[in-house]
Amino acid sequence: MSDTPIDYSDVQGTVLRGYRVDLARHFILKITDSAAAKRLIGSMVDGTAGMPQITTAKRWSSKPEFFVNIGFTCQGLKELGLTPGQLSTFDQGFQLGATSPETAKTVGDVGNSAPDRWIGGLSDGMSVHAILSLWVTDDPIVLEAVTARLREAFEGGMEELSSHDARALPDNRIHFGYRDNIAQPTVSGAPPRKHPIPDDQPVVKTGEFLLGYLNEYGSTYKVDPVELSTNSSYSSFRILEQDVAGFEAFLEKYAEQAKIDPETLAAKVCGRWRNGNPLELMPDGAGTPLPLSELNDFTYVAADASEDDTLGLKCPIGSHIRRNNPRNGMVVGTDSTHHRIVRRAMPYGPDFDPKNPDPAARGLIGHFINGSITNQFEFLMGQWDNTSTFVKSAVGADPDCLGNAVFNISGDDVFVGVNEASSSSFTLAECGKKGSNNVEIEGFSRMITTRGGAYCFLPSISGLRYLAASSIATD
Amino acid sequence: MANPLTLLMPVVPNTSPATIANALAAQQSAIETGLTNVGTVHFSRFLLLDSSQPNLQPTGSSSDNLVLGVITEYDGDFDVYIQDFVDQIGGVFDALLVFVVGGEKLTPVANNVAALTTFIQQNDASQNPSEPSLYSAYPQTVQQILAAFSQP
Repeated sequence: MSDTPIDYSDVQGTVLRGYRVDLARHFILKITDSAAAKRLIGSMVDGTAGMPQITTAKRWSSKPEFFVNIGFTCQGLKELGLTPGQLSTFDQGFQLGATSPETAKTVGDVGNSAPDRWIGGLSDGMSVHAILSLWVTDDPIVLEAVTARLREAFEGGMEELSSHDARALPDNRIHFGYRDNIAQPTVSGAPPRKHPIPDDQPVVKTGEFLLGYLNEYGSTYKVDPVELSTNSSYSSFRILEQDVAGFEAFLEKYAEQAKIDPETLAAKVCGRWRNGNPLELMPDGAGTPLPLSELNDFTYVAADASEDDTLGLKCPIGSHIRRNNPRNGMVVGTDSTHHRIVRRAMPYGPDFDPKNPDPAARGLIGHFINGSITNQFEFLMGQWDNTSTFVKSAVGADPDCLGNAVFNISGDDVFVGVNEASSSSFTLAECGKKGSNNVEIEGFSRMITTRGGAYCFLPSISGLRYLAASSIATD
Repeated sequence: MANPLTLLMPVVPNTSPATIANALAAQQSAIETGLTNVGTVHFSRFLLLDSSQPNLQPTGSSSDNLVLGVITEYDGDFDVYIQDFVDQIGGVFDALLVFVVGGEKLTPVANNVAALTTFIQQNDASQNPSEPSLYSAYPQTVQQILAAFSQP
C-alpha cells in the first residue's frame, strides 16, 4: 500500500487504470482563446452542458461507454496562464518539449523520425498545446457522437490541428504480431488490474507515477503552483509507425543468417514469443499461451544455475522487454524500479495482409506515463534503448558457461532504437569467454519510425479546476 | 571514452582541514559502496587546497580560504545519471555540502537534484571550454574493464 492513500477521484483515470477498449481517438489541439479554453476545461471536469466528462481513476460500477483524459504541453500551460517562473519548476524534459533538438537527440528521434517530419501539426511544438484522448469501449457510433460534441465545444477556444484514431486488434495484438499489454508496473496504492498478471518485481513507489508522493529516490516530484502538484503526472504521447513488411523481411533474412527460424528470431528481439509467452519461461518454443498467473512471473538472475539467465542465453539482454525492464539484472546507476513506465498505447491503421502487402500507415499510438519524463521515458530511450553500455559486469551461475553480461548485448533496441544500418547490431549469446561464441546480426535498418510526439502534463482533477478558474498572469 | 569532473568548491570560512578530513574518513565506506553501485566511475578522489598559501597546501590550521575538490573520471552523461548518483551517494553529498559555501541550501540533495546539478555545473572546472580535454589511455567503460577480467 502507498504511504499516503491516493484519492482516485482526483487523478485522471489513464494514469492509474488501463482502459480496455476497442477504439480511441487522440485530438491534437492548439489553444486559440485562453478564456474559452478554460471554460471548456471547466465544463469537461464537471461534465456540465452535456460535455463529455474527464474520466477519473475512481472505480466505476459499470464500464463506461467512453473515457476522456487531457494533457497539456509546456506551451499549452503557458497559454493557460502559467508564468515562466512556475514552468521552470516542471520536469526538465517536459520544459524542453518533444520537438526540441536536444530531446530528439536524447530519445533517438533522428533521420526519418525527426520532429520536422512529424504529421498532424506535431512538428510545430510551439503550436501543440493539448492532447485530448478519447477511448471508446466498442461502439463506433459513440466515438462519432462524442467526437461531434467535442468538436462543437472546441469552437472558439481550441483549434483541432489533427486527430488520430486507434483500433484494437484481436487478442491484444499489435501490427508486428505480438500480444501486447502484458507487463505493467505494480504501483503502490494504485487500483489492481481487473485481470491481474502477477510478477515478483518490487511494488513501485506511488511517486514514480504521481506528483506529490514519495518516489523511489525518497523525494517528491512537485511543481509550482501547488494546486497543480499532487495527483498530476506526465506522459510522452507518441505515434510510432511500424514497417510490418520490413520487419517480416528482417526476420526472414536474419533468421537464416543466424541459423534459427524466423519465429525464434522474433522472440529473441522481443523477449516474448508473438503469443506473449516469455522466452525466460519458454526458451525452446512458443508453446500454448500461458495463463495470466504465469505470463509475467519470471526474472532473469538466479542463484540456481538451472534458472539463471544472467548471460541472456534464453532471453537476450538486448531484447526489447529486457532492455526496458531489466528486472533483477544489474545495470549502472540504480535498477529497474527507478525507471519504470506505464504504457497506454494501441494499434492504428489497417490490418496487414502479408499476401497483399500495402504501404498504408500502421503502428502504435498512445501515452507513456511517468512522474518524470527526464528520469523515466527519456532515460529508457536514451540509456537503455539506444546504448549497450548500461549493463553491469556479471557472470552466470553456471561455472561451465563462460561469458559476461557486458559482452552479450550490442547495438540499439531492435524495435525503438535508432538502428543506423552502418552500426546496428543484435547479439544472440552463447557460452564462451568474452562472448567468443556469440552470434551477432548486423546491418538492419530502423523498422519503427516516430511520426509524432508531444510531452504532456496530466493535471489532477483539482488541477484542471484550478486551470479552468485561474486568471491569465500579467507581467 | 570517460568524462572528467573537477568540482572545486569554496569551503565555509574558518573551517579546519581536520574537520573535513574527519568527515571524509567517516564517509569512506559509503563512498566506496555508493560508487561501486553506480558502476560508472573509473577513479575518484577528494582534494583539499588552501588558496591563501603559496603552494596551495593546507597548513593544518583553520583557514578562510580552503577549497574542497572532487576529481573523478566517469562514463556516460552526468546529468542523465545525477538522480541515480544521488540515490546511491546522496548521504555523502549531504555530509560534505555543509562545509561548502552555499552548500547547506542544497541539502538534502534528494530533494534538490536540479539545484545540485546547477551547482555542480557552475563549479566544475572541466566544463570550462578553455580547459584541455581529458587524456585516457583506453576507451573502455568501467563495466567493460571489469567484465574483461571477470574470468581467467
